[in-house]
Amino acid sequence: MSQKLSVVGKRIIQPDAAAKATGNAIYVSDITIPGMLIGKVLRSPYPHARIKRIDKSKAENLSGVEAIITPEDTAQWQKFDRGLKDLPMIAGGYTVPADEGVLNERARHFGDAIAALAAINEHIAEEALELIEVEYEELPFAIDPEEAMKPGAPQISDFAGRNIGKHMPYAFPEGDADKALGGADCVVEGTFTTTKQEHCTAETAAAVARIDISGRLIVWSQCQLPHLARREIAHIFNMPVHKVKMITPFIGGSFGQRGSLCAEPICIALALKTGKPVKLVYSREENFIALESRTGFKCNLKIGFNKDGTLTAIQVYMLGRLGGYMGCGPMASAIGMIFGLGHYRCPNRAGEADMVMTNTPVSGAFRGFGNPAIMWGIEQLVDEAAERLNIDPLTIRLKNIKRAGETANMGLRLESTYLEECIKQGAEAIGWREKWGKKKEGAIRRGVGLATMTHCSGAAPLYLDHSNAFIKLNEDGTADLVVHPAPVGQHIWGALSQIAAEELGIHAGDINIVTGDTDVTLFEYGSDASRSTYVIGNATLMAARNAKEQILARAAEMLDISPEELKISDRKISSRVDPKKSISVAEVCYDAIYNFKGECLNISGKCSWESKWNSPPTGAFFAEVEVNTETGKVTVRRLVTAMDCGKAINPMAVEGQLEGGMQQGIGYGLTEDYVINKDTGVVETDNYDSYKMPGILDMPETKVIIIDEPDPKGPFGAKGVGEPGMVGVAPAIANAIYDAIGVRIRDLPITPEKVLDALGSG
Amino acid sequence: MKEIATFMVNEKHYELAIEPHMLLVEVLRDELGLTGTKHSCGIGSCGACTVLIDGRPVLSCLTLALTVRGKDITTIEGLAQGTTLHPIQKAFVEHGAIQCGYCTPGMILSAKALLDKNLNPTDKEVKHALSGNLCRCTGYVKIIDAVLAAAEAMSKEAHP
Repeated sequence: MSQKLSVVGKRIIQPDAAAKATGNAIYVSDITIPGMLIGKVLRSPYPHARIKRIDKSKAENLSGVEAIITPEDTAQWQKFDRGLKDLPMIAGGYTVPADEGVLNERARHFGDAIAALAAINEHIAEEALELIEVEYEELPFAIDPEEAMKPGAPQISDFAGRNIGKHMPYAFPEGDADKALGGADCVVEGTFTTTKQEHCTAETAAAVARIDISGRLIVWSQCQLPHLARREIAHIFNMPVHKVKMITPFIGGSFGQRGSLCAEPICIALALKTGKPVKLVYSREENFIALESRTGFKCNLKIGFNKDGTLTAIQVYMLGRLGGYMGCGPMASAIGMIFGLGHYRCPNRAGEADMVMTNTPVSGAFRGFGNPAIMWGIEQLVDEAAERLNIDPLTIRLKNIKRAGETANMGLRLESTYLEECIKQGAEAIGWREKWGKKKEGAIRRGVGLATMTHCSGAAPLYLDHSNAFIKLNEDGTADLVVHPAPVGQHIWGALSQIAAEELGIHAGDINIVTGDTDVTLFEYGSDASRSTYVIGNATLMAARNAKEQILARAAEMLDISPEELKISDRKISSRVDPKKSISVAEVCYDAIYNFKGECLNISGKCSWESKWNSPPTGAFFAEVEVNTETGKVTVRRLVTAMDCGKAINPMAVEGQLEGGMQQGIGYGLTEDYVINKDTGVVETDNYDSYKMPGILDMPETKVIIIDEPDPKGPFGAKGVGEPGMVGVAPAIANAIYDAIGVRIRDLPITPEKVLDALGSG
Repeated sequence: MKEIATFMVNEKHYELAIEPHMLLVEVLRDELGLTGTKHSCGIGSCGACTVLIDGRPVLSCLTLALTVRGKDITTIEGLAQGTTLHPIQKAFVEHGAIQCGYCTPGMILSAKALLDKNLNPTDKEVKHALSGNLCRCTGYVKIIDAVLAAAEAMSKEAHP
């Protein structure tokens, strides 16, 4: 596919950047409505406790307090799954049990919501919160999945025998992994553990809710999936869907956390109770303890190889910690297995997972979903096998990576892959040949390592991958594009503008994005699974194509030539045969709207797009580290990410995604540790003074390589690139540490203590 | 007990009645509607609430408002001239240094405090000046590019 492109592939400036640079952009936390109250939530100090009594009388008597709600008040509403999957969305009829109330009579984790109130200002709300008296009956609790599965452990949810919230089989098993492992020349195996990483969105969770005079509920929400959130909220509050309107302002970061309901249910409950607008903004501490963060796993992995390095079998058992409610956690294992076991060509694949409920804050989706957890182990084991087979890490991977035409991780045809180029170009950039496998001496030792990965472009065929786009042409030749991705900072408005403008032959700046209101936008699954550019992009492309056909037909009539003869570019339609025959897009659109020949038409295009394809982005990550063998400190010196994400619609935006992924990957690899006290169930890391998210001084020298080869199925050849950027960072660092000091760390994050321990025992 | 105090924000005077315990970030956002100043961690660890006081970067989530009355307070809203962006804002926009944008106002003001003193900073100086501002989206790469580009543009403006 070779196509001359004039808008796609350009480093355009984002339509929303100036608003954000000037303080003009409005986020949910910034919204004020006349008469608006401030909400606050009372949270459990215990990991597991029954609420025996709540005395709200003192708080109610405080001047300025308008309402206090307790589990008794919220029992009238439906229980729900905060991950929005208790209603059908996943293929095969799988739904997540609705196990959570707006408020709950039994606290299932430290920070669980017990009561909430609304007051005329923040200070009164805070004061009132302290006046609510709660009598708790502390219950036995389980923090670790293993202990929660033991007989006699406290039962956390009725439906979860042995506290197993969900047993997940691998979706695409093949062959006989046991048998193949038995016959393999080389078997590498190990247990790898990963942590509960917090998203650290710059804006904390926030919602504003208002009931209008007709009884409609209007919610300003940060949800990445606004239409699914609308269905869920209508369901929870016993309202018809059309009575709920979701508005999506700018969102101050998400990375998967806002794929679930966050502050919305309690905020809405307070608005319904008071009849007044309510704003609820979580504190940073609440963001840590009340919301979903990355699912922590223990993965038992076994991989078999032939002598020549051919991968013959892979097997995994994943044990995941869900927390007090189901949320998005269960699918993290399903997705992890799909990406991990389906990454390399392998005829014998088996996997299963137990997702276990515990008395800890809830787990869910975070950039990469389960992929970083499983690749953390796989990519270390592949290196181990390479060493035992005396093959270098590049060669063993090049031998086993999938090629175009094979079956991709989601069971669909792999239309394109340029992972080989990623590996080769990344190796060149890091200086692999000169640096890898060299003898190291001295207290401070350097090493290089690599990891590869595959991800997805959307959720097909696992979820209903449904998007819509509508585009209407104005009489001046510009267009309004009606779509509803979540503007979490991924530059999606710009990318969709480029796709629409390229197809319509106009400029990216000619596209006005109309969005953020479920009253206006057609159904949109939303922004997750690295799907916005690929799936909403394809919907946008088809809608634009539909409109373009109308433009060309009208132009052909106006120029009195056949539409096939026409081309459209730079806001102009002209004949391929006789370039002098031309007319502007604006003239055609104006003539269509103000048409006095009885042929009025507002040129517009629409597409309801259900993605049946899924083009996996592939990438190679290279790290160069320095390990101080005396202190155990690991310093990442250089990171290179080489990514095949199809055609980059805007290379600057793609770089931004991959550079951001590096920061999150370094944090996941080295510093971010969500600590729960095993004796008390209390979360000890609930702000940036105790939880180390990498700052600017923690970043190494970085390089991003975009392969930029179009995929046959993506819009103008694009694939998804939102999530892949962090997946391979931690295992690349671990492999580099091995190259530097000859020890393997299998437990995240890689702290100096673990490095010293490993050196001591080695 | 509220106190009447005069604040000078973005070269304008405001006379406000405020409680002594009110933080600067609250006065700016809730009293003056200057919501470009962001609240994020509440403990002075992330820099999203950074404003300039007499040209120096200050964490408004840790600053009692009454302590800065009469001082020259600059928020992100005070940088652009109408729709003409300040060179640092322009560089952030052009270099793709803004993703979710929530840390951006604090980043830009920290950068301004640096560039107002030093129009020729090294990479290292830029990093140190921004080391109190956390960003979860960008990996900081394009932010550094933007500040260096802004330094060059401002330098040219100052010495054409």
